[in-house]
Amino acid sequence: MKTQEDMAGLMHPLAAKYLRPERLPHKACPGCGIGHVVHCTLNVCEELDLTPDNTVWVQGVGCSSRISYTLWKGDNIDAHHGRIFTVATGMKMSRPDLNFICFTGDGDCASIGGNHFLHACRRNLDVTALMFNNSIYGMTGGQVAPTSPVGAKTQTTPYGNLEDPMDACKVAMAAGASYVARWRSTDFKQLTNSIKKGIQTKGLSFIEILVPCPTQFGRYVLNMTDTVEIVEWYKENSVTLKKAEKMSPEELEGKFLLGEFAHNEDRTGIVERYWDAVEKIQEGRK
Amino acid sequence: MEIRINKEFCKGCGYCIEYCPQKVYELSDELNGKGYRIPCVARPDDCVDCGLCELYCPEFAIILDKTA
Amino acid sequence: MSKAIKRKDFVQGDEAIAEGAIAAGCRYFAGYPITPASEISECLARRLPEVGGVAMQMEDELASIHSIGGASVAGMKALTVSSGPGISLKLEGLGWGIKNELPYVVVDVQRAGPSNGVATRVGQGDLYTVKYGSAGGNNSIIALSPKSVQEAFDLTIECFNLAEIFRTPVFLLADETVGHTRELLEIPEDSEIERVERKKPTVPPEEFHMYPFDTPEAINYPYPNIGDGYGICVSPYTHTSRGYATEGMKDQDRMVQRIVKKVTAHQDMLTRCEEELMDDAEYAIIAYGCEARPSLEAAKMARAAGIKAGFMRPIFVWPFPDEPVFKIASKVKKILVPELNRDGQFSREVSRAAKGQAEVYHLGSGGVETHLPEEIFEEFKRIIK
Repeated sequence: MKTQEDMAGLMHPLAAKYLRPERLPHKACPGCGIGHVVHCTLNVCEELDLTPDNTVWVQGVGCSSRISYTLWKGDNIDAHHGRIFTVATGMKMSRPDLNFICFTGDGDCASIGGNHFLHACRRNLDVTALMFNNSIYGMTGGQVAPTSPVGAKTQTTPYGNLEDPMDACKVAMAAGASYVARWRSTDFKQLTNSIKKGIQTKGLSFIEILVPCPTQFGRYVLNMTDTVEIVEWYKENSVTLKKAEKMSPEELEGKFLLGEFAHNEDRTGIVERYWDAVEKIQEGRK
Repeated sequence: MEIRINKEFCKGCGYCIEYCPQKVYELSDELNGKGYRIPCVARPDDCVDCGLCELYCPEFAIILDKTA
Repeated sequence: MSKAIKRKDFVQGDEAIAEGAIAAGCRYFAGYPITPASEISECLARRLPEVGGVAMQMEDELASIHSIGGASVAGMKALTVSSGPGISLKLEGLGWGIKNELPYVVVDVQRAGPSNGVATRVGQGDLYTVKYGSAGGNNSIIALSPKSVQEAFDLTIECFNLAEIFRTPVFLLADETVGHTRELLEIPEDSEIERVERKKPTVPPEEFHMYPFDTPEAINYPYPNIGDGYGICVSPYTHTSRGYATEGMKDQDRMVQRIVKKVTAHQDMLTRCEEELMDDAEYAIIAYGCEARPSLEAAKMARAAGIKAGFMRPIFVWPFPDEPVFKIASKVKKILVPELNRDGQFSREVSRAAKGQAEVYHLGSGGVETHLPEEIFEEFKRIIK
């Protein structure tokens, strides 16, 4: 069994710089795309000089969060299930100088956290949220999620899911998030660019990432156990915005739309507005 | 440039083997400490340093060492 | 020694609580409108921007308590307020604060229950909720209960200080009567107010343990915040002393011992009662919060009728004042406990602490109004026969 010292020579430079060595390898299942997203995020940290001193990782509950929790060398704040945006509100309003990257899941964000997700977007809270969408509740054993496709046979929908899935990107846009995008975890270049843009755009940046889940979604819903087969399924069932413009609604049925849906650089958010208002209120009292 | 694999981090997902455009990797017979069957660098001279394997690996197990 | 007074005013208890928070150094508030606590939110919405603080009306009760947890972790003295139904919603977030040893203050302006009950009228049904309501037990809850507007101000400051000393959420267990009563409030000059400030670690990050499981009774323990360079780890799950998730039985027990013992080991700091007419008392009336003043009046009425009655009021309701209650029970024959619920929550605790030394009687009510002194006196006469 290799020791930490042996591993030091084999540590990826990004991991060595930004992650806690004692927390690697992380606990994701083989083939899970969460590692892809962490990798892209670290590339962005390199580019934008986001360091453990100026950036906080915020997590919720579920695979998305348990795996990223305590990976980051800086502060790791793991909130209750669905409450990631509320904790981030308290932190960002108190420390607007720090950067916050929120790792959430489809259950964490769109189900139990739905209300908070809505209002964080409405307030345009200046954080970057990465929602890992594996269309299932992975950590708890494969129950249906609000993003699961109709007909999906999960642990809690053994006869097939009867509910339509939520399009979290549409919700984010409708509620007012400044930057909204969706990519697969294997769209490395686009995902990295989106995360970078998201961090650079003031207000709430919401990036949904389609993440292959071989253990639950792949096995129970797609009846696939081969990781590559699942990645290929996502490739076959996604379509870019550009391509979608030329497709009929029937052709788009059940397909994941990829691309940047919103990028509003002018819309201010609660953090900027609040502190500007406080300045004016205090000026007025002088 | 040397391709180094952190064998103990590998979980045998197979992405590097499948997605390397130059088919540099192959599944080896070696099992790591966790029992995963890990890849090996079968054709290192075919590597064009595209960096895809490093990104496709979800475990930070592939290091493209440009200093070597 | 009297303090220099900055402001004297005739205000509601709710406003006194808001001013107490500001005086204590609270600079982050998050809440959701709920009668009879909304006035606190309204006051803070006006006052916090004046002092450079944050006042947020969040989308619901859960968002409020979770966001003050975030604010605490970010270095702020933070507050949320609610009433019974909202406290029920906040219990999950409270667990996060307890588990991660986060200092903040929660105000419960109790109202008649159960459930939504009567929004605008008083009750006392949350004694057990604030202490035992959050998942899994094993908590460090401290709760203080005011009887007057001035005390609402003073105890709010004390709550913030205790939160920092013990690194725990602290409750101000108020009620609608105290919250909506108008009385004289004297706010001292800032220099007269004692504030406990957050301690920072003096050792480097690699030597610091965010959660001192090796010294479970430690208080005034350092509390680094985000951006301090300590790479803090905060989570709702059982964790090691550094904050890493763990499932081991020993780790779980060490964590739980730390959370519980840091309070139970300092009972002396967390016990304070008001006693009147107890020196030669043969009977006692014990009450807290809004029931305290009519109970004292009833004890005086008993004295006027020649009965040796005494009165006691705990200011700290959690940890429960076992020792003072036992002392009283050892001295008197019978104890009457008026409270605004019919579960007998407070009288059950008095009975437990009395350990059979005296008979304990519960005078319950559904709430809406406090007991009148005459009502308490009538019941008192009945039980001492």
